[in-house]
Amino acid sequence: MNLLLAPLIVSLISSLLASLIVIVDSIVNNYGEVNININNGKKILKVKGGSPLLFTLASQGIFVPSACGGKGSCGACKVKVLTDVGEYLPTELPFMSKDEIKENIRLACQIKVKKDLNIVLPEKLFNVKKYKGKVISLKNITHDIKEVKIQLSDKIYFKAGQYIQVVIPPYGKIKQSTQRAYSIASPPSKNTEIELLVRLVPDGIATTYIHTILNVGDELEIIGPFGDFYLRDTNAEMICVAGGSGVAPIKSILIDMFEKGITDRNVWYFFGAQSEKDLFYLELFRNFEMKWKNFRFIPVLSKPQEPDKWDGEVGLVTEVMARYLETIIDKSLPKEGYLCGSPGMINACESLMRKFGIDKVYYDKFA
Amino acid sequence: MIPDLNPLLLFFASVFTSNILLSNFLGMCSFISISRDFKSSNGLGMAVTLVMTITTVLNWIVEKYIIVPFGLEYLRYIIYIIVIAAIVQILEMIIDRISPNLYISLGIFLPLITVNCAILGVALFMQLRNYSLIQSAFFGFGSGIGWWLAIVLLAAIRLKVDKAPVPAPLKGVGITLITIGIMAMAFIGFAGMINVQ
Amino acid sequence: MKMTPEMIRAQENMKPGVITAEGFLGHDDRNIIDIIIADEIEMEKLGLHFSEVAERMKEILKFGEKGLGELVSYEHFLIKVDEARGFLPCPFQDGVYRKKVVYVKNNANNENLMFSVLSIHLIEKHHFLQGKGSKFRLEPFKIKKVLFEK
Repeated sequence: MNLLLAPLIVSLISSLLASLIVIVDSIVNNYGEVNININNGKKILKVKGGSPLLFTLASQGIFVPSACGGKGSCGACKVKVLTDVGEYLPTELPFMSKDEIKENIRLACQIKVKKDLNIVLPEKLFNVKKYKGKVISLKNITHDIKEVKIQLSDKIYFKAGQYIQVVIPPYGKIKQSTQRAYSIASPPSKNTEIELLVRLVPDGIATTYIHTILNVGDELEIIGPFGDFYLRDTNAEMICVAGGSGVAPIKSILIDMFEKGITDRNVWYFFGAQSEKDLFYLELFRNFEMKWKNFRFIPVLSKPQEPDKWDGEVGLVTEVMARYLETIIDKSLPKEGYLCGSPGMINACESLMRKFGIDKVYYDKFA
Repeated sequence: MIPDLNPLLLFFASVFTSNILLSNFLGMCSFISISRDFKSSNGLGMAVTLVMTITTVLNWIVEKYIIVPFGLEYLRYIIYIIVIAAIVQILEMIIDRISPNLYISLGIFLPLITVNCAILGVALFMQLRNYSLIQSAFFGFGSGIGWWLAIVLLAAIRLKVDKAPVPAPLKGVGITLITIGIMAMAFIGFAGMINVQ
Repeated sequence: MKMTPEMIRAQENMKPGVITAEGFLGHDDRNIIDIIIADEIEMEKLGLHFSEVAERMKEILKFGEKGLGELVSYEHFLIKVDEARGFLPCPFQDGVYRKKVVYVKNNANNENLMFSVLSIHLIEKHHFLQGKGSKFRLEPFKIKKVLFEK
């Protein structure tokens, strides 16, 4: 008798408590239907509450840029929230400047939609869409950079220089999908096929996947376009600096200009690399130089393997650029800087350019 | 036999003279780790007080109407823990809803209240000392407040200690344990006033 | 040794695919507290201090950064600092760090070492040199050879 009674009573108590939990859960975690008001009434979304803002917006077809896919490690998904949603979380603070906190900018992946929200988003985000892509070519263009061509299911409209995000599915030991941003290397005229340059990062989740696992014929999800890095419509002289995988957006911009016949602007393109083996697309740029008299292509090697044969510039790309700005490039014309590369390179170039009075310097803020 | 104790007296006794933390040294894990930060200490103290009060009362009812009548004394520990776990689960959901910030700063220690020895300890003392329902309620509430008081005091002391030139080998947990020892001795001073054991 | 909840959480974050592709533990199946203690003893034996090592690494990083991704010579070292976009969070959840990787070669003995900005933080704050077999594992004797031998 006792043998039966004990388990019976324990399970009775457990199930009673479990049902209590279920009841409380359905009351506490039910946020009901919530309105998200974007840009003061421009768009009003009716959504189910309870999930992070980033995913709630994505489920409605609005893709806020996020490089890590909502894990709170990239700090890209900043959104201005007008409604008071409580104090900043410890996971948000490392990414926020004092000004951003004053403006109440939050990380969309960290704050949950629990009540009606008023938020501000750049209008151009409404153009961002999710595309299905198929890899049609993979090519090693240097020892650590791969050129990836992807055919899209739908037409994409972007400005030369913008970037997209690639969704990396779980693979091997990696259990969650991630997202990483890559600039588009092909011109906007090719709107069903895009090209990316991906440099292998040691132990990088996404780059390892693209370099070692991805095959021709594989499908990939792509979200975009994003970014404020594109050609400004002025007559200013363009000083472009990019090397490695940073060549991608510059290549897109240059081809776009050439195709559209914007060849009356002076363009100086400094391509920084370590040695001959790190240079690529030389033919393309040399070809431009021949057909486009205002375009100057200046490859710079820091350590040429065969110094006798190398007839280009030697040194750090920043030093060479400074020398050109000082002695070769006409100082009287207005100039704009276009940079793509590591944050360190961008900082160094930007401060140098400012020294030479170039205050319009453009690069991807996402870095 | 229900002891003849004024519930209010019992309340003060469990806050000061027989503080569950400083006289029985129960609930040390989270006491030491969370006291690093004053705000989280306050939050955890509040959560522990809430859980302790509710579970002590619930466990008293379970003890009186289920465990004793069915002769399940040998399952007491398991049943107590199940009740505590369920209450903590519910509290976790409520805190997440009301204050996500507190939820994140408490982190793993919120679910770990389930295995906080102080909570089971209070429930067992309540049974061992044969308290009535009212007495149990005051005892649970008082012990919670006592735990809260102790962790907040320690957090405040640690704020000061952080600025003091502590010898390298004693930094962190070392000096904290010494601090707790001295605090415990100070609380013994209250013990002469009321005796509940 | 007993693992604190922070350590348990950190160890979870160190598994492959959470923060980096291969994770921080390699084929090491010890708990991180045991890895840390073993390395502390090893470092002590070699007369190395974690804070000194971190300072040395920061110094090398500072000079290497001037190369903007290309090779630079500094003292008797050859340094290259690579940077990728974005940030890596520390597995102990006390900060985020740029994805900068430093390659350093000691010309005196031709030994080389690879470490990241996150490695410096892990050494300085957590005395953690990563598990054996991890891509970014820093062996104490190797640290001594590369960073401190002339």
